[in-house]
Amino acid sequence: MKILVALKRVADPANHNKVKIPAAGDKIDTAGLEWQINPFDLYALETALRLTEDGKAPKTRLGEVVAVTLGPAETETNLRSALATGADRAIRVDTTDDALDGRLVAAALQKLVEEEKPDLVLMGKQVVDGENNYVGQALAELLDWPMATFAATIKEEAGGLLVGREVDGGVSTLRVKFPAVVTVDLRIVAPDSVRSSKTAEGFKYPYEEVRFAPLPAIMQAKKKPLAVKKLADLVGGATLSSKYVKFEAPPARKAGVKVKDVQELVQKLATEAKAI
Amino acid sequence: MSLPQNRYKADLRELEFVLFEQFGLGQLLQREPYQDWGEEEVKLTLSEVYRLATEVTGPLNAVGDREGCRVEGGQVVTPSGFRDAWKKVYESGFKSLIVPPEFGGQSAPRVLSAIATELTSGSNTAFDMYPGLTIGAADLIEAFGTPEQRERYCHKMFSGEWAGTMCLTEPQAGSDVGAATSFAKKNADGTYSISGTKIFISGGDQDLTENIVHMVLARTEGAPKGTKGLSLFIVPKRRVAADGSSGELNDVKCLSVEHKMGIKGSSTALLQFGDDGQCLGELCGTAEQQGIKQMFKMMNYARIGVGLQGLGIASAAYLSALEYARERKQGANAAAWKDPDAPRVAIIEHANVRRMLLWMKAHVEGVRALIVKGAMHLDHAMALAGKDDQAALYHQGQVELLTPLIKSYSSDTAFRVAELAIQVHGGVGYTMDYPVEQHARDAKIFSIYEGTNGIQALDLVARKLGQAGGMNTQRFLGDVAAFIEKNRDHAVLGPSVANLAAAHEAVAGSVMQLLGWSQSGELARIPLVANRFLTMMSELTVGWLLLDAAVIALEKQQGLTKDDRDWAFYEGKRHAAVFFAQQVLPSVVGSAKMLSAGDTSPLDIPDAAFATV
Ligand SMILES: Cc1cc2nc3c(=O)[nH]c(=O)nc-3n(C[C@H](O)[C@H](O)[C@H](O)COP(=O)(O)OP(=O)(O)OC[C@H]3O[C@@H](n4cnc5c(N)ncnc54)[C@H](O)[C@@H]3O)c2cc1C
Ligand SMILES: Cc1cc2nc3c(=O)[nH]c(=O)nc-3n(C[C@H](O)[C@H](O)[C@H](O)COP(=O)(O)OP(=O)(O)OC[C@H]3O[C@@H](n4cnc5c(N)ncnc54)[C@H](O)[C@@H]3O)c2cc1C
Repeated sequence: MKILVALKRVADPANHNKVKIPAAGDKIDTAGLEWQINPFDLYALETALRLTEDGKAPKTRLGEVVAVTLGPAETETNLRSALATGADRAIRVDTTDDALDGRLVAAALQKLVEEEKPDLVLMGKQVVDGENNYVGQALAELLDWPMATFAATIKEEAGGLLVGREVDGGVSTLRVKFPAVVTVDLRIVAPDSVRSSKTAEGFKYPYEEVRFAPLPAIMQAKKKPLAVKKLADLVGGATLSSKYVKFEAPPARKAGVKVKDVQELVQKLATEAKAI
Repeated sequence: MSLPQNRYKADLRELEFVLFEQFGLGQLLQREPYQDWGEEEVKLTLSEVYRLATEVTGPLNAVGDREGCRVEGGQVVTPSGFRDAWKKVYESGFKSLIVPPEFGGQSAPRVLSAIATELTSGSNTAFDMYPGLTIGAADLIEAFGTPEQRERYCHKMFSGEWAGTMCLTEPQAGSDVGAATSFAKKNADGTYSISGTKIFISGGDQDLTENIVHMVLARTEGAPKGTKGLSLFIVPKRRVAADGSSGELNDVKCLSVEHKMGIKGSSTALLQFGDDGQCLGELCGTAEQQGIKQMFKMMNYARIGVGLQGLGIASAAYLSALEYARERKQGANAAAWKDPDAPRVAIIEHANVRRMLLWMKAHVEGVRALIVKGAMHLDHAMALAGKDDQAALYHQGQVELLTPLIKSYSSDTAFRVAELAIQVHGGVGYTMDYPVEQHARDAKIFSIYEGTNGIQALDLVARKLGQAGGMNTQRFLGDVAAFIEKNRDHAVLGPSVANLAAAHEAVAGSVMQLLGWSQSGELARIPLVANRFLTMMSELTVGWLLLDAAVIALEKQQGLTKDDRDWAFYEGKRHAAVFFAQQVLPSVVGSAKMLSAGDTSPLDIPDAAFATV
């Protein structure tokens, strides 16, 4: 199986205070930000690795995982880290953050998919900066491929996947045929959430997060192929279809009030907060 | 049982500063044999090791402390989770950073392995001792064993399949290693029958690995008394079959484990070798009576290792205190102390607490710089050997000189930082609900094992100061002087550099005095002041390195705006340096005065006068 995993770098959520908006409010100032890969995209990477191995140690590779990002040269650090974690090769589409919107990212990925012809495209259900929850769905639409979003479990079957999706009322199960686009949710990294065709019955991963990049893999990462493409070569002439009107920092939290009893709490929730 | 919960954290920005911005790791990486390493690999390594520390070993720190180790049916049982952690730690490969490539390692610089150790050990000192001693034991075989021995033991030990220990101490032979009486009788087939009792053996038994390789100092038949007569033996817990697998037990009995103040997750075993006359060992290498020399060659690493244990805990305790001080609200701002309605503030706003926090910050970062400097000298010495022997000699000389400072000053500081961290926590710091009381208990051992700090101080004063005709000391003092000369008129740090100059002069004066006493045979005076001198010299070094960091930081700070995190980071460097220079370095001058006054009361007081009981 060949899987393309789309990764986006985001400003380190633990250091969100560094995100600055200039007075004009026309953009986000990215100077000096610390970056990391969007957590949901890392889960997608972990999912891709689990789908292309048998789970046993030492693991046998059963397919190919290609990590893709769109961004400036610094984002190669994030790709190297994906390669150290286990991806087989990487592609960077050279561009800058403010030259992109969801639609353009989906269009660029579409071209890459047409070149690479993966069986599956995996990505996080959303990025933790913009929280748009858009690119996966847009890409499936552009490709006219089946899609499953918010995957919490994935089981490989002949010619496709059985995907358990977390929805408000519980779990809905979808069967998608390859090639497909799947976006993943948090619980996809639970010990037995992902089963490739070769995963042994009853096997569980001994961790529930993204795997460590082991030292030998870190040292090997720079020897793995990393190709660079120009955005214009993929989607020449395309322009941004969404325009950012204004950025504003969220309002500072107001001090809370202490209520004296449950009655007052209920009353305030009803009359002031209008929550009930 | 306590539930696994990570409370360890580290400041990776600080680690990167020390490695790259202050000590120029980037330049070292261009030298052989480090060329496979670039800044990217180093940073990825640190962030992955940090994950390991916070996700695997950190959550077990309190668990190990509460459960401790116990002996069941002659076998030590380690705390819950240690076996799983051992597996994960070795799968991650980070214990092979400095292992030679022929044994699957990555030839990383020592300094990177040092910082990785700060993280793993800082997150769980007790756990990290098992791999730490295993690497130490394997290093010995790697350096001195025969090709067959390296083949037989090193692969399995470096990969974590087997573990290792160091067996020096005996009931009557602690600091006085040469008093060891364990006995090795040569057999017709070239093996040796080992008998004797070793005490306090870290990792002496455990349930993490199928075999344990003990490195045992013992005396052969007819060998002279004292350290010279000791030979080093490889004594596995289970005999190793011809095909390399572990077979039957080798008559090494674990009779008990100590019940200790700290590092409770690390087993400290009483081992009985050859009780039934069935314990077989092999000489490490081919020559008898080389044991002490062989151990000594590895001593610098082991002692720097203890320094790192100290740093790991000190840093963890400081960051715990900082976090608590930001959360805990108590009292009002000093300016409003009379107003009962004034808002309660976080204790980090109180001058009293800020004083303690900055004391900790300055000492922790200073010790880190001291250790990184020592490890960098080691790396340079290794990279330059055979290429530029003069330069290699200089670096090796600095390693020799700085090692007792690293071991002692770091370990003493760790205990003091942990003590202050408890103080910042107030009453809760004294309870087991917060990690700092464990930090204090764990840290105390560092000043005792691997040569007590008393012994380190004597090593510094009696051996190291005069080593190579005093050349190493002169070069060291020269390096400090060059920094002072260059930065005397620094716009911001000038007055602090003046304090450094005074401390430099004081230390140089004391060096002359001590060397004078050595030459005139007044040796009895030396132990009275050796520890104080070690502290003086450590404080001089730390003051220098903190100021050096501040000079770099102030340069880098230019052009940054105040809301930039790096601005604040660099600003922290400046204040740590000024604090240390203004509030610690003056005591170096005072100590020199004390030293030259030559008081001998501890010798003059009759034994009976210490107390009437
Ligand atoms: C938790 C733990 C783990 C250990 N792990 C190991 C291990 O893995 N392997 C191993 O071999 N040993 C190990 N040890 C033993 C440790 O190295 C010794 O405890 C240490 O060497 C000190 O020896 P001692 O306890 O006999 O103290 P002593 O030597 O009795 O010292 C008592 C005091 O007297 C001072 N003193 C003693 N002799 C002199 C002297 N000649 N001049 C000046 N001062 C002196 C010392 O500095 C100390 O303050 C461990 C000990 C502990 C507690
Ligand atoms: C074993 C034990 C037994 C105890 N027994 C009793 C008892 O019998 N009866 C009883 O009433 N209490 C008792 N206590 C509580 C004890 O008196 C408090 O822990 C102590 O007063 C400190 O208060 P705190 O723990 O809230 O620390 P905090 O007040 O939160 O102090 C935390 C740190 O901040 C500093 N700090 C706080 N406010 C200021 C300020 N305004 N200016 C400068 N620095 C400040 C403190 O010096 C300290 O370093 C006991 C506590 C323990 C641990």
